[in-house]
Amino acid sequence: MFSLFYGLWKYAFSKTEFHVLILGIDKAGKTTLLEKLKSHYCNVEGLPADRIVPTVGLNIGRVELSNTKLVFWDLGGQPGLRSIWEKYYEEAHAVIYVVDAANPSRFEDSKSALEKVLQHEDLQGAPLLILANKQDRAEAASAEELSRYLDLKKLDERLYTFQAVSAIDGLGIKESVSWLVDAMERSKRTQMLRVRAGSSAV
Amino acid sequence: MGIVFTRLFSSLFGNKEARILVLGLDNAGKTTILYRLQMGEVVSTIPTIGFNVETVQYNNIKFQVWDLGGQTSIRPYWRCYFPNTQAIIYVVDSSDTDRLVVAREEFHAILEEEELKGAIVLIFANKQDLPGALDDAAVTEALELHKIKNRQWAIFKTSAIKGEGLFEGLDWLSNTLKSGGG
Repeated sequence: MFSLFYGLWKYAFSKTEFHVLILGIDKAGKTTLLEKLKSHYCNVEGLPADRIVPTVGLNIGRVELSNTKLVFWDLGGQPGLRSIWEKYYEEAHAVIYVVDAANPSRFEDSKSALEKVLQHEDLQGAPLLILANKQDRAEAASAEELSRYLDLKKLDERLYTFQAVSAIDGLGIKESVSWLVDAMERSKRTQMLRVRAGSSAV
Repeated sequence: MGIVFTRLFSSLFGNKEARILVLGLDNAGKTTILYRLQMGEVVSTIPTIGFNVETVQYNNIKFQVWDLGGQTSIRPYWRCYFPNTQAIIYVVDSSDTDRLVVAREEFHAILEEEELKGAIVLIFANKQDLPGALDDAAVTEALELHKIKNRQWAIFKTSAIKGEGLFEGLDWLSNTLKSGGG
């Protein structure tokens, strides 16, 4: 009996922890975004952009909001390293896909890598936030332009949005995170992951 | 090179004692790496507890090196060296494909240790100068690095003999520790 109430209490008052994958091809600005998120929400000084080196592994950012905890997994985007992305899919609640909006010559590469991500069954139903990054550059494509370029099919049953951001000056970061939290709270995938976590705990 | 390293680590830990464990199977190249970094004299000791630990003291950071694998009876004593460990540098002989399975098992076993839960992990895919050495993506796969989900990790291709890749790795290490670690 006690354990039942304890379980309920824990269920009602513990913060939900969401795992968010940050994906995108190399040089998109994933780690810069992560550092921005850390400095924005954790009051820690993020690593300055010029000290960030290409990621060859996993960077982690933990962010605590009023009623949720976010764990960001930032994975390296070089072609040889993309094979490990899928190993993290199963436990991810949502995906942030970062695109360098100021570099149209790599849109095609971005598009095909994203399509591969979306086809993977381990990510079924995961909300998708596509970021048109590097808005601090004059030549950057807008969110609408990028969505036209990427021309993604089969997105209809998935919660998704495009957002223009700059990981350097922080433009659009707040909006992105609030969309993401809202989408994860609504998504069926979150329920599914919760059920699975619950049954494995028993 | 030693000077670069000084700059990298001088402000990193303040006055706090810090520990970095350099681990891997025998013959992975751990000691060669320490010599390459020219941080100071590598002192080889056989303490009374009975296994061989090499130590380099660099300012307030202690680099400690020993071989994993074999000799299960002395393993409990490893734990004496776990407290205050900020980082683990795991060195793999990328050309020794026969022993990669053992390297993987030993690696994940050490990551299970309670006192090492907060340590970040830097992997050196070493001996890239040898023919048949696997690249970083292949070593990532072989070591099943994707199973690490609660701490930061990075892998670098290195050749300790030629001195390649070591400082890139240490740069990552110092940046990551600075920005809050695991």
